Amino acid sequence: MSILAFKDTQVLIQGITGGAARHHTENMLAYGTRIVAGTRPGAAGQEVCGVPVYDSVAEACAQHRIDASILFIPAKFAKASALEALKAGIKLLVMVTEHVPLHDAMVIMEEKQKQGAVIIGPNTPGMISPPEKAILGFVPTRYFIPGPMGLASRSGTLTYELVSRLTAAGIGQSTCIGVGGDRLVGLRFAEVLLKFEKDPQTRAVMLVGEIGGTMEEEAAELVGGGKVTKPVIAYLAGQTAPEGMKLGHAGAIVDGGRGAMKTKIEALEKGGVLVARQPAEAIDLARKALE
Amino acid sequence: MRIYEYEVKDLLDQAGIPTPRRELVQDPAQAQAAAARLGCPVALKAQTLIKARGKAGLIQFADTPQQAGELAASLLAREHHGEKVASLLVEEKLALAGELYLGVVVDYTNCRPVILASRSGGMEIESLAELDPDRLLRLAVSPSQGLTPDQAQVASRFLADGDVAGELAKVVSALYGMFVQRDLEMLEINPLAITKDGQVVALDGAAAMDGDALWRQPELVKPRNQSQEEFEREADFQRRGWSYLGLGGDIGILSSGAGITMAILDLMRMWGGRPANFLDTAQMDRQGIYDAFQIFRDQPGIKTVLVNIFAGLNRCDLLAEGIKDFLGEYKPAFKLVVRMAGNREEEGKRILEEIGVSPIRELEASVHKAIEVTEDQR
Repeated sequence: MSILAFKDTQVLIQGITGGAARHHTENMLAYGTRIVAGTRPGAAGQEVCGVPVYDSVAEACAQHRIDASILFIPAKFAKASALEALKAGIKLLVMVTEHVPLHDAMVIMEEKQKQGAVIIGPNTPGMISPPEKAILGFVPTRYFIPGPMGLASRSGTLTYELVSRLTAAGIGQSTCIGVGGDRLVGLRFAEVLLKFEKDPQTRAVMLVGEIGGTMEEEAAELVGGGKVTKPVIAYLAGQTAPEGMKLGHAGAIVDGGRGAMKTKIEALEKGGVLVARQPAEAIDLARKALE
Repeated sequence: MRIYEYEVKDLLDQAGIPTPRRELVQDPAQAQAAAARLGCPVALKAQTLIKARGKAGLIQFADTPQQAGELAASLLAREHHGEKVASLLVEEKLALAGELYLGVVVDYTNCRPVILASRSGGMEIESLAELDPDRLLRLAVSPSQGLTPDQAQVASRFLADGDVAGELAKVVSALYGMFVQRDLEMLEINPLAITKDGQVVALDGAAAMDGDALWRQPELVKPRNQSQEEFEREADFQRRGWSYLGLGGDIGILSSGAGITMAILDLMRMWGGRPANFLDTAQMDRQGIYDAFQIFRDQPGIKTVLVNIFAGLNRCDLLAEGIKDFLGEYKPAFKLVVRMAGNREEEGKRILEEIGVSPIRELEASVHKAIEVTEDQR
């Protein structure tokens, strides 16, 4: 088992006729993802890599069971496309788009909440479930092997770095999710942890965090509160970032003074999360956690 | 991205929120003339992107136009956290009956705007939130529905009693409207003053723009605290999807992806290296890496450049070609350390070895190497 994406997950590609979308559709199909339809207004009747294209999400949904949609949509149109998919009843969205305006993202997330859907991203390379041969996005598949480690990360490139090392150490992965690099994302570490906790194949979880935001602190509270019993390892980038640059200002009030690296590491360690100071240490901790 | 007080006030005017009469000036003579036109006493307020100006003495009051000119001369010679004071607002000084706080921020955890309001204006809102949380109203707003009239009423009654509450409700609604229309990440009026004759006036304002929404806010895109050249370079980087930051050390870093770049900075600092700057390029190709190297060229402080390539979607061979193109054309003064792994690694390695560069496969080893060759040059 894995989480969120499986062998039989039927996938829609919004914006399938674009250059990058075509390229990644081909790669995803080659890996094993079941892509059943694509959309592009005005392109109904075309095919991309053998996948039928429709004018709208509603039309695609009328012809196919769609479990998930991947949006290869420019930032300017991301809001309209995400709302279209959510209103059509699709329960899992992967938004790879970078630079989605903050106010658009807030509207998207409100609709997601209303529909009871999950959004991965924005600004994410997507996710992969190696045991299920399902990739939703464009992580480089050759570094991933099936196994017991669940991973959630705020950074794409750092994920490749760490996963390639896990794989070299013989530690495979159940599911790896890039939750997205933006401050406002659809799926938070705490929610991913609860999903991994329920997944029988996942035996330990690695979180790849960054300075800023409160996702690491929320995860720490969950682990500390006993809601997650599997070992959790964290590696955070930005440990030596200068303290002087105070970001939030009034925004820091709603974060309750959290977000700094020091408070993150303290919270994680207090909650019982194994915190790695360097990438190599993260792999050692993963190995020990699985012994 | 912060904007100046005078810009915030112009936007507040457009949103229909009352502001003091004022003029923006760049030299003492203009300040003196402005004070004469506005009528003394006046406030002189240094325009800086970093706030907390009161404590720093960057807000002064003048009783005569001549005094306004003198104070302007001293303020325009000041710096605030490294930022040179280049302009001042000369503003009518009002007789106040009370100072309130009103702001809109984003709750990133719950993905929605929050109105913040307090009767204790004038102080830093963080301190208030800590000292007396009961005196701070937090009102979550639905991003799709916007602020409801009821919510505007709740906020205004929290801020004041009596007749002025009606006027305040209008200000709350207008402020929220501006927050959305201008794609702001944060907007606050502090203090929001009530004058002795019962008027509501925004005495000071602060706002931050969403860098991802500038395409639909073109009038807000302009140089701030930077030269035209720096502004254009930043715009060029934005178009390319690059981020660049100067850090003051002697090792330049060229890497792809914010997370891995931060991880490299961490390792370098932990092991005693001093990063000069970093360039994070989202996607790299042959031309891209060639262009990126131009940034490190002609920077005399840079002794070494560390390039990190973990090619997931990129190709090591193309990146190696880009490095070869650059070295074929320029003879940089810095030493080059390349970490290369991933897609078409062997081909990339062969290309680099032909021009005398031996790429390193492991990240940590490349950071150690960069520190070592830099120390050798000291």
